[in-house]
Amino acid sequence: MAELLASGGTVEMARVVLDTGADAVYVGAKGWSRRRAQYEMDDDEVIASARYARSRGKILRVAFNTLPASGEIPLLLAKAAKFVREGVRDFILTDVGAMRALKDRFPEAVIHESIGCTSVKAEDARFYKEAGATQVVTECRMDREEMRKIREEVGVGVEVLVHATTCYTYLGRCTMSSYTRQEWRFDEEGKNHFLGSPNRGGLCYRVCLTEWDQIGEDGSVEGGRVVLPNLAYFLVDDIPDLIDLGVTTIKIQGREYSVPLVGRMVRFYRDLIDSYLRDRASFRMEPWKERMAEIVSARDFERRDKTAALISESGLPS
Amino acid sequence: MPPPDLSSPFELVLTASSPREFSGTDLSAYDAVCLGNPYCRRVEGNYAEELGLLPDAVSSLHAAGKKAYVTSPAAPRGRDIPQVERLIAAAAGAGADALEVHNMGVLRVLREKGIPLPAHMGAYANVYTHLAAKVMREYGAVRVRPNAEVSLDEMAVIARDAGVEVEVLAHGKIPLGITEKCFLLEGPEEEDPKCPSACREEHWLTAGRPPSGGKPAGAGAWVLKNVGKGVLSGKDMCLIEQLPRLLSAGFFVFRVEGLYETAAYRSEVGAVYRESLALASSGGEYTVRPGWAKTLKKHSRNGFCNGYYFGKSGQSYVGNVLQGDNSRV
Repeated sequence: MAELLASGGTVEMARVVLDTGADAVYVGAKGWSRRRAQYEMDDDEVIASARYARSRGKILRVAFNTLPASGEIPLLLAKAAKFVREGVRDFILTDVGAMRALKDRFPEAVIHESIGCTSVKAEDARFYKEAGATQVVTECRMDREEMRKIREEVGVGVEVLVHATTCYTYLGRCTMSSYTRQEWRFDEEGKNHFLGSPNRGGLCYRVCLTEWDQIGEDGSVEGGRVVLPNLAYFLVDDIPDLIDLGVTTIKIQGREYSVPLVGRMVRFYRDLIDSYLRDRASFRMEPWKERMAEIVSARDFERRDKTAALISESGLPS
Repeated sequence: MPPPDLSSPFELVLTASSPREFSGTDLSAYDAVCLGNPYCRRVEGNYAEELGLLPDAVSSLHAAGKKAYVTSPAAPRGRDIPQVERLIAAAAGAGADALEVHNMGVLRVLREKGIPLPAHMGAYANVYTHLAAKVMREYGAVRVRPNAEVSLDEMAVIARDAGVEVEVLAHGKIPLGITEKCFLLEGPEEEDPKCPSACREEHWLTAGRPPSGGKPAGAGAWVLKNVGKGVLSGKDMCLIEQLPRLLSAGFFVFRVEGLYETAAYRSEVGAVYRESLALASSGGEYTVRPGWAKTLKKHSRNGFCNGYYFGKSGQSYVGNVLQGDNSRV
């Protein structure tokens, strides 16, 4: 049965997602996950959230899924050791060397490969399985047959993002933000937050979403405005198929959104999944799409403001 | 890792997509050429796709005393794997010296084939740490090009601790993103009449409307290069002022990014780096000659950058001679 996994940007959000029906929550260790620090947790908060998850019979995963500097690997392992001592077993990573090091140090750890690895096919999944991962995030445009191959032939879990953003590039393969603006800033533990690099520190200035013109070699403007699409999407129609296919995890991203909105998203998917499982034959999608529409506009409203603020922060000309 | 026994103390590598990019270029400055275009299989004459071109290209490079590497697709889907397998066989059969690999699935396929073709991890392989490089070494990598965001100090750690050579992008556009869809076309690529010619022309993305008259703004403006399935920096990475530091830190493999540039760019930029690296490695006093600066500025539409190597914004420039606006605008 598919696990419903949702985002824990704060202690409060982690509790709410578990209380509203998620089977698991993921949190970012501060400086180490693909969100800026305000959406990540101090060690004490991670531990408190892990205890709460355990008390509810649920799982907490810690994301160490940014690309660190070589010299930061000991920091990663020391922090992971702290969490392991408190009973955390589940981690999300991107750097294949960090994956191998974590698995070697903690053989009981459960490693999930992050969206930043850009796995698009079975051969990629096999590589990460050999590094110690037992689950991979499928790239959002992956077809069903490839998902089936990954689950059945490669033999790792398949995780699908049902609320996330697409990025105009393959996710994990873009450095436009840090090209525009990057500042290295070290925290009190010596961790570099690589401000401006979503791959290394989690803060992305979303410069793709500014207004672009395209000009030719002679300087003349070609055609109309160019859009580099970075759409926030919800997968709804696909949920029955994904359940039937046997995906392992259905994931809701949302650490940057308000707690009530994320709670609504979790409740929606919990109800949808349960309704389909109760009676597949007579399940109808239409009422769910109507219910989704309000959540979509609330999400778009919150995202629009955040994106405008990030682009402004980047220093791009307007 | 100490440099191998080269006739020169450094290796200068050029990228060239196709016979069109290869044949118009004076290769005398280069020690090696990496053949093919990793962004798109449909690039005309792509060495990584039109495998019948490889034997002659490789043998002519070898005859000229140069190494020949062949690139592979940066983001292949499952349906592209049969072609990747044919590419590996063809590159090995032609006698190529290495396969440039950007993708972990491709690296694994290469190892499974058991063909003794070494791997050079390319720009999109996302090598950031020495531990990641070590894992890739187990799969057959002998060289890595760290991701653009990795600083020179971090690259030195990889070079010291991973047991692989490290390639440094010395000059050229930085790959900032790779896409599935081509952003120069309106319709599907199989049907759009602008494919494959669209990416042979230059297209620049600018933020904010340009002034009337459409003249591109100077080096301070925000410009990227759209090559269809990739977005490159508008400015050219440039390390001409840093060469002594690089050599004394132990780096000896340098790339000039020749994809989507003119033959004159590939020829003349290569010649500048050949001369400057020779001077930097001679042990004598190193300064950037006016002629070098003039040539590099001539070929740079939007100015220079190297900030990534120093832990700064990628578009910023650290140096004394080439900071400021380019000379073409």
